[in-house]
Amino acid sequence: MIRNICRRLGESVIVLLGVALMIFVMLRIVPGNPVATMMGEHADLAVIERMTAELGLDQPVYIQFIRYITGALKGDFGTSYSLGKPVSFLMGTAFGNTLKLALFAALFAWALGIACGISAAARKNGLADHLFMGVSLMGVSMPIFMVAMLLQYVFAYHLHWLPISGINDWRGFLLPAVALGWNSAGSISRLVRSTLLDILQEDYIDTARGKGRTQAGVLIFHAFRNALLPVITMMALQFSSLLSGAVITETVFSINGIGRLAVQAIAGRDIPLLEGTALFTTLVVILGNLAADCLYDILDPRIRKEV
Amino acid sequence: MFQGKHSDSRIQKIPDAEQDIRLLSQLGEEQTLGKKLGRMAKENPLAVISAAVILVLILGAVFAPVLTPYSYTGMDLRNRLAAPSAAHLFGTDEGGRDILTRLLYGSRISLLTGVVPALLSLVLGTALGILSGFAGGKTDSLIMRLADIMLAIPSMLLAMVIMYTLGGGLGNVFLTLTLVNWAGVARIIRSETLKLKNTEYVEAARVIGVSKSRIMLRHILPNCVPTMIVLFTLNIPSSILTESSLSFLGLGVQAPDASWGLMINAGRQYLYTAPWLCFVPGIAIMVTVLAFNFLGDGLRDVLDPHQNRE
Amino acid sequence: MIQMKKKKLFVLILAAAAAAFVSACGKAPAGETASAAESGTAAAAETSAAAAPAAQPAEDGLLRAAILYDMSSMDVAKTTDNYMVPLNVFDRLFETRMRDGTAQVEGSLCTDFTVSEDGLRYEFTLRDGVVFSNGSALTASDVKYSFERLLIAANENTDIPLEVAGGEELMNGKAKELTGFEVLDDTHFAVTLKAPNAGFTAELSSPAMSIVDAETMESVKNFGSEPADTIGSGPYVVTEWIANDHYTLEYNDKYWGAEPTVKKVDVRVIPDPGTQNLMFRNGELDMIDLQSLDSSIVESTYKTEYPDRIISAPRVGVTYFALNADNEYLKDLNVRKAIAMAIDADEIITGIYNNNAIPESGIIPTGIWGHNDALERTAYDPEGAKKLLEESGYKDGEIHFEMAVDSAADSNIKLTCQAVSQMLEAVGIRAEIKNYDHSACLDLRLSGKMDSFIARWGMDYNDPANIMYTFFGSPEKTAQRSLNYKDKDVMARVAAASSITDDQAREAEYQALEQKIIGEDAAWVPLFEELHLYCLGDRVSGFTPHWAGFSDFYAADVVLK
Repeated sequence: MIRNICRRLGESVIVLLGVALMIFVMLRIVPGNPVATMMGEHADLAVIERMTAELGLDQPVYIQFIRYITGALKGDFGTSYSLGKPVSFLMGTAFGNTLKLALFAALFAWALGIACGISAAARKNGLADHLFMGVSLMGVSMPIFMVAMLLQYVFAYHLHWLPISGINDWRGFLLPAVALGWNSAGSISRLVRSTLLDILQEDYIDTARGKGRTQAGVLIFHAFRNALLPVITMMALQFSSLLSGAVITETVFSINGIGRLAVQAIAGRDIPLLEGTALFTTLVVILGNLAADCLYDILDPRIRKEV
Repeated sequence: MFQGKHSDSRIQKIPDAEQDIRLLSQLGEEQTLGKKLGRMAKENPLAVISAAVILVLILGAVFAPVLTPYSYTGMDLRNRLAAPSAAHLFGTDEGGRDILTRLLYGSRISLLTGVVPALLSLVLGTALGILSGFAGGKTDSLIMRLADIMLAIPSMLLAMVIMYTLGGGLGNVFLTLTLVNWAGVARIIRSETLKLKNTEYVEAARVIGVSKSRIMLRHILPNCVPTMIVLFTLNIPSSILTESSLSFLGLGVQAPDASWGLMINAGRQYLYTAPWLCFVPGIAIMVTVLAFNFLGDGLRDVLDPHQNRE
Repeated sequence: MIQMKKKKLFVLILAAAAAAFVSACGKAPAGETASAAESGTAAAAETSAAAAPAAQPAEDGLLRAAILYDMSSMDVAKTTDNYMVPLNVFDRLFETRMRDGTAQVEGSLCTDFTVSEDGLRYEFTLRDGVVFSNGSALTASDVKYSFERLLIAANENTDIPLEVAGGEELMNGKAKELTGFEVLDDTHFAVTLKAPNAGFTAELSSPAMSIVDAETMESVKNFGSEPADTIGSGPYVVTEWIANDHYTLEYNDKYWGAEPTVKKVDVRVIPDPGTQNLMFRNGELDMIDLQSLDSSIVESTYKTEYPDRIISAPRVGVTYFALNADNEYLKDLNVRKAIAMAIDADEIITGIYNNNAIPESGIIPTGIWGHNDALERTAYDPEGAKKLLEESGYKDGEIHFEMAVDSAADSNIKLTCQAVSQMLEAVGIRAEIKNYDHSACLDLRLSGKMDSFIARWGMDYNDPANIMYTFFGSPEKTAQRSLNYKDKDVMARVAAASSITDDQAREAEYQALEQKIIGEDAAWVPLFEELHLYCLGDRVSGFTPHWAGFSDFYAADVVLK
């Protein structure tokens, strides 16, 4: 397994290089000049040309790329054009916020998803089943920004329970976390339900029932234990997608996170900042997938992934 | 099985879909596709209703000019943000345009952004997936590394970068969503191909000297069709949601054209003074996505023997 | 071994799952309320959103404001867009302030000055005893350094110091210092200009001419990006800047002037005007800039709910429709004239801006010295426009060009573009709207290849030269700004106008030029000047917006209760 992980990590390096190159080339093709955007409406061409030379943007693309990669290998990700600060510094702050947001969202999604999934499976086609599955379907069918805007309107604007934007304390995280985790909660509850329903038909469950276990006991101690494998895998996968996919939530709630930083970077043709955020989120996704695979291997030694 | 999907969480579907494929490969040849669809109609009324809803949407989109007297771009500055009334069933938007009209015309674009990229990525992904799985070796690793790169970048980020590179507009939205989605399809079809490659009849065909391209087209492709149908149906709602998210960020289709996502984006400012601007297209998106999801579920049920046991 | 590991792990996971389950029970209602909210929102939205701003207790002297985009730098050598910090943290020799409704240039660091007969040599006297927030004294050599560094950095805001004798040489690296700047003693210095400029003191009040501390600049590394390194002598100091999130200004107790009622300003970056709207109405902001909010919302909520808390000030910038003189159709004077006749600016002002805008007929906006009230507006006459096009031999729908729209523009401007496009369509001209994102839009415009666009130019200082020279001063300027305006003679006259020392003659020349460019050449179509509206929260009793209609303002001009 260690060898497998090493091989995967090796592949990841190639993928990361590929991502870096792709972003670099694309930002050169995109119409729009990073320097003109940085200098603003009132700047003249002469000023823009001087600054372009100063930043080395008049050099051939491959030289810029090599320069960027060598810098990045030394840990220097450059200075953001649009925000005038080192990219690593900007990403540090933003990642802290996104990580907190994703953690809150994951906790919400896991807790709600597992609870709803179990209660739905407990009585197939019962009231809870229909209710939870209906709600989770609604959840996955609504654009995430609609969910976010509705939450903002009801709980912050109308009821005044929570702040409209900003994450000064834990209260500020609640609405964004629910908005972000809503979708995952729906997916998890559906997965938990279907896996449990499959397992409940197995013979050993009948045995457990025969031994006099209650329905809840059977569900939690026998069935759920066996349903954990796919659920855990999915939870790991989803955590990385929550981390990398918070763009919309961060936009609606004005949270200074990695996603919003990336949007700003693209809009400002801010090459160092976009490279930084793209590489970072890509790395998060790769590591998340790797972690999911490892968990799978650890939890179920019978299944060795075919290579 | 779940198939909850959102633009932000594309990656979650891959292992799961692969699991589906594993199940799908056990599919016997005892029933034709038509018979299976017939069975779905009988057992799953929800899927039938969904199909009907989709049909109504398509009809609405096609006959939009007949159904409404208004123009979808013409502004009426004296009649901005009018509440729903008899003249304007769903009210008017920030430019005084009839929302029902924009909804109908918008459904053209929104349905197209669902169907076209799903179809294109299906074609591209299937072609590359079969090629990759069948050829193996360097071709395989080249295609799969490329797919890895596409899958590793968060889909929203990838879509945003491509949209900025290409600029707004419908054609570019199609292209972007195709580029974002093909890799997932290719991976699944590849693993399907790998399994089919080792079946006896493909071995047999190879032994008797049938050409490679013929094996791919005649023996492997037809066996991938059920998987392709499911992938297609499930990619449609995810494309619609991604397009709406892109429009929300100000990318995607541009005013004065109409797409549902764009309508929500434009109406966002007015959520608290003229909520119909957001709610009408929002509900339209939800209904459409739900319909495609139910239909996808239904199709999966009849195409997947494992689930039928329940 | 594996077996044991697995067991331990399982116990752990079970514990986690149990915890999750328990917490889920607590959280379940949240999920349900959320789903109830979905069905109930239509109803909820209808119940008037009149919830009065909840007076959240805010500390004394704190002002909570919001901006749409974060600043890129606090250094005027690097930005022309973000002047909030320069206005509040730095001082200038002069300041333009609103006094009784008119913008006036007042001495600030400069207490007295004289001009020579020929209008070339200025002698200034500095205010005594001014210190920077780090305690070091502000002297004439700091002023010299501030002029010189703009030229040495050679980035933004070089225009004004370039007017000083020897500026060109310093910028090109041919000279080591600014020869036209003489330090006489600590509080006296003289500046010699290359050509007389009647608007020079007004220019010195531009945020670009902020005075920095020479000593600090030599010792710090991150001037303009690190709060601690960004030292000025103004009423406030920057204490914190979290990029993309917020920055904080606090009162500078070493400030030489009167102490403001606002002791601390918390400026949050909220990119969406809708969210700002909610925050203000929720009592999370003490003032809101209504600029980017759709005017219909301002009309239906703010003007009815807080009519006496709205502050209105001219935007001091004309919104214009620029037409590319290189375009195959737009190079025809008759086409340009027909376009001007086909646009009903009044309809836009009432329909889109709810009358929060005033019509403009020229280039120099209302509120700027030299503005011509008497300049006649091209009358709205679609029939006349059609006739003109017919006479010139154009068929209906033959004339077509692209109208570039910046997707970062506010909704009012976007609607204006759509309305103009529709008005032109009515006379048979197809102005096809093409959306570009901000960066691509800027790039295309600077290349001079954009067919047409609608934008607003905000004034940097109170002198017509600012807009006239920038748009019509030289072939490079017209290529980038007024889309290839051709008349070289007009350009030469515009360039020469700033050195006319007699105010009346200068004003007359600008107005004659305006008549020529707009009236005769129809180079661009002036549309209107927006009114800049703010709404104040219940903790704020008064506010004077920046005279030039900036979104940035002097925090000292806000009065807290």
